Amino acid sequence: MGLVLRFREERDQEMPAAMSAEEDLADVNRVLAGEVQAFEGVVRRWQGPLVNMAWRYCRDRGRAEEMAQEAFLRAWRGLAGWRRESSFSTWLFALAANVFRSELLRFPAVNVPLEDAAEPTGPATQHEGLARKQSDDAVRRAVLALPTRYREPVVLYYFHEMDVAAASRTMGLPEGTVKARLARGRELLRKRFPHLSEQSAPLLSSTLRPEKEVLE
Amino acid sequence: MKSNLNPHTDHGAIDPILGDEGELIPSSGFLAATMERVRDEAAVPKPIPFPWLRALPGIVVVVAIIGWCGCELARVGLANAREISFTQLHLTAATGRALEPAGWVAAALAVSLLSWLFAQRLAGRSGLL
Repeated sequence: MGLVLRFREERDQEMPAAMSAEEDLADVNRVLAGEVQAFEGVVRRWQGPLVNMAWRYCRDRGRAEEMAQEAFLRAWRGLAGWRRESSFSTWLFALAANVFRSELLRFPAVNVPLEDAAEPTGPATQHEGLARKQSDDAVRRAVLALPTRYREPVVLYYFHEMDVAAASRTMGLPEGTVKARLARGRELLRKRFPHLSEQSAPLLSSTLRPEKEVLE
Repeated sequence: MKSNLNPHTDHGAIDPILGDEGELIPSSGFLAATMERVRDEAAVPKPIPFPWLRALPGIVVVVAIIGWCGCELARVGLANAREISFTQLHLTAATGRALEPAGWVAAALAVSLLSWLFAQRLAGRSGLL
């Protein structure tokens, strides 16, 4: 899996939200009128977000694509059920979250308890970047070991670019509940990885990367 | 992705680690594979809906017959309940009364036959036979 650097601004310019919503609506109407091929537009626009969302649920590329494909199929079957009260993306994400949740109930992504989640240790003076990456990966994987009720708010909050409202809409839960579960999830992660609490915010903000890593 | 951390909601190192993750690009065949599955599903003919309108007269008749049978059984059963005794269970008595329910058996068989013919007719019209 190679790494390609890609600027976030570039991605944001690709698909203005309003245009996407209009295109979604147009494609959905065409599909409902019997034009199967119009669904390709929906898949093309949302394949990235859905595969990434699935990836955050399972951390397995192959499985993420299978789950995303299943979500698209469910969306295809239930397209007439979209009542258009919410945006298409909200409906699609909520449907996908249900699919991913059910899939992971059948075959859990990890069976390791949180306390057993690996944490890289040891000096990393020479390869600090690599050590930091390994440490970050360990934290991301540990999210999967959280109890389900705390895992999903954590996954969706960060998937939705740290927007509690969007995460709560996707989960169909009140914002207060999502906030509380999110706080509990973070607390569990901090207990497991004490170094997360020790690092200070100014140091962290300097470590934020200006560009986004794209995994191929 | 919000890269500027709010000082009031500073969650230590968790936000940058989980919020600034790499982005996975779907494999090149994902779109084609998904659309193939969608097309396959679209190609499957929709299940034939049960012809309720056509079946309605038959259902009404069957319900009426069952109701009538129930009423008759209750009426006859209640009337004869007190007369039932162990003496009636003798072989001769049983033989003597054997012809009595024969009509009911014949009626039941006729109803079964009609139901079968009706089902055949329905299935035939739907193209299954």
